[in-house]
Amino acid sequence: RLKNPLLFEQEQLFLPVWQICRFCWLFLLVCRLHGRYHEMAPNVVPMDYTKDPDVKLPMQLIINMPELKENPFKERIVESFSEDGEGSLSFNDFVDMFSVLSEMAPRELKAIYAFKIYDFNTDNFICKADLEKTLNKLTREELTAEEITLVCEKVIEEADMDGDGKLGFADFENMISKAPDFLRYYFKKNRVSCILAGMF
Amino acid sequence: AEDLVGSLANSCLSSSSLQSFRRFGNTLTEHFHQLQPWHKTLKIIGAEFGTSVLSYFIFLKWLLNFNIFSFLINFGFITIPQFLAAEPNNLSFTGLELLTGAGYFQQTVLYYGSYTNATISKVENSASYNMQLAYIFTVGTYFVICFLILLFSMARLFSRNFVNPQARSVNASKLLCTWDFNITNEKAVKLQQKNLLTQIKEGLTELNKEVQNFSVMERVVRFATHLIAWVASLAAAVAACAGVYFLSINNLKVRPEFAFFHTVVVLPSLPPGMDQLLVQLLFLLLFRNIILKISIVGILCYYWLNIVATSESQCWETLVGQDIYRLVLVDFIFCLLGSFFGEFLRRIIGTTVCVSLGLPEFDIGRNVLDLIYAQTLTWIGILFSPLLPGIQMIAFLIVFFVKKVSLMRNCQPPCKVWRTAQMMTSFIFLLFCPSFLGVLSVIGVTVWRLKPSEECGPFRGLPSMYAAVAEWIQMLESYTAWKWVVWIYHNLISSELFFFIISTFVLVVTYLYWQIIQARRTMTKLLHNQIINAGKDKKFLLQKLQKVQRSKRSSSALGGRGQQVSLTAQLLLFNCLVQVHGVLQLCKQPAGLGKGCASNFI
Repeated sequence: RLKNPLLFEQEQLFLPVWQICRFCWLFLLVCRLHGRYHEMAPNVVPMDYTKDPDVKLPMQLIINMPELKENPFKERIVESFSEDGEGSLSFNDFVDMFSVLSEMAPRELKAIYAFKIYDFNTDNFICKADLEKTLNKLTREELTAEEITLVCEKVIEEADMDGDGKLGFADFENMISKAPDFLRYYFKKNRVSCILAGMF
Repeated sequence: AEDLVGSLANSCLSSSSLQSFRRFGNTLTEHFHQLQPWHKTLKIIGAEFGTSVLSYFIFLKWLLNFNIFSFLINFGFITIPQFLAAEPNNLSFTGLELLTGAGYFQQTVLYYGSYTNATISKVENSASYNMQLAYIFTVGTYFVICFLILLFSMARLFSRNFVNPQARSVNASKLLCTWDFNITNEKAVKLQQKNLLTQIKEGLTELNKEVQNFSVMERVVRFATHLIAWVASLAAAVAACAGVYFLSINNLKVRPEFAFFHTVVVLPSLPPGMDQLLVQLLFLLLFRNIILKISIVGILCYYWLNIVATSESQCWETLVGQDIYRLVLVDFIFCLLGSFFGEFLRRIIGTTVCVSLGLPEFDIGRNVLDLIYAQTLTWIGILFSPLLPGIQMIAFLIVFFVKKVSLMRNCQPPCKVWRTAQMMTSFIFLLFCPSFLGVLSVIGVTVWRLKPSEECGPFRGLPSMYAAVAEWIQMLESYTAWKWVVWIYHNLISSELFFFIISTFVLVVTYLYWQIIQARRTMTKLLHNQIINAGKDKKFLLQKLQKVQRSKRSSSALGGRGQQVSLTAQLLLFNCLVQVHGVLQLCKQPAGLGKGCASNFI
């Protein structure tokens, strides 16, 4: 279960002024997000959460959001944040998704989710089949089969450090640390994610 | 929403002060980013054109901050006191001054020449304001702050982007790390996919070719083309510099900009068939452009400092200031013209007359070099024209809007994937190394060596501008309360022994850090090899275990448990031995010893 980076967990009792400011800002963000969540399916999503309703929006609605619509990995993104792995997001999952995709999430969290997104068969390894699917999505399936195989073999050869023929999370992190542009491209740290900017 | 809010409230209510203070700082920076001007514009540019084009606009905004800061402190500390002690300006204003910078402007606060050298005091016996010290200290403090900011930005970018220069897995990172998730525009996404496809195909063709066996003829042709291009550009640079020098000497008011206009036309014309080397040539083009601009600025500085300063003219600093004003203005005009011709007309041509050309791309390299050149001129001009950063500020603002509009209307996203982080690091390095350090040396020579003009400016009559500080220290010697300032000045700032000691110390520390880096690099290689070997050992052991399990299943009826126990014990013992061996490897040369040892023991 994801620990939402928007929330933080310490134990004390006093409430300084900046906490109030941050709380207000977070509250506004969450309200804004809920507004977007609600407008995707106004008949299904309730405005009242006191009875803790179990509402999940299906993947089809979420991948039609303008921020995700053109992304070739939109299904994988939504699947990695859904609890049941099928792609239906409750509001909590929705908030999780946008908090990881925004600039507020730390680098380690982004790396974890990038790994999950590229791991198509969810076996916690990026194997050759996962790489082939990634390559197809990145190049719109315009490479021939042997070109795809060649590239995937090269990738595994270069990045696999412990020799098991697939990329574990440690290999992936190692590769990212050598690519300084990765964080810049993967939801760059200094820029508000598109949804939240609508408020300001 | 209540439940969510409740959980938010609960977590917000509890915090430890140190962590919450840190998060407060984080929140402030987040808010600060969102409140910054042009935030939405930059986001749109990044979404449509990618991160590399966005980095140009961020660089422009960053340079704008330097100019805003300089303008504010110059205006506050130098110009406002000058207003109190101003003499009336009896020249008339015609519109031509905006272009030439001379005429009416000559006696305004725009130039060095009109600043008084008096000690300004509004009321009798109140605190007085020493204009000489104010001038030199304001400019000096500004350059020190700029130096520190540039140094820290460069160091931070270097450490982030050049961490592992030798470990670049080209294919793996291309596949998994170069997709720009920020792009949300459909056309831009399709373009990015096409670019990635092209790059992968290029990479594959390189893989398939065994060795690039050029025939002797082709190699000669390539070498000759390179040689000709280099000779041509160097000759053009030398010709441009000579032209600038002689034109300035003869005092013709033809601007030096015209001199290198024709070289800009010469440089982009490349011989055909060089697309394989295109990326490297792009860097070469930029490099030649840099050489040209540096040499022109160098020639101009030489002319100003050696010839204008020692001439008999009345107020040479104001003349230099006017020259720089005109250069800044013409550079600004050429920047706008470049945008007009390079993007607008090119789009018209590419869509109507010659459709195969297509839309133009935003030329990041050339534009960034223009910015660096403009900023260099401004920095040189601060001493001679304190309000020049204000003018450059306005120019940058206009350039930002013009470039943004031109980009949105005329350009398409870039084809080549720029290694953005490394490009930005190189640009800031260029800003620091030839540009800022060159400016510092020019300012240094002006302040320490040149004689200020006799009849104008805050340093009139002194043997050098720095003499104002020396006089002030002399005056301080008579006050006992400020003895420590005098001591610092005599023993630390103007003492050569102190600088010698500091330099030696810095060199020793640098050498030590360099050795530590070498050692760490070796350690990294050893650890990398250890991981590989541990993986091989693991695979070998797994195979052995599977063999044992298979033999256990086949001989289970024979009751060979004792045999298997001893085999498993052997394997466990061996595993421990391998771990120990791995640790020992850290001290020895890396080799595939683990696998060899494994097969030896069993």
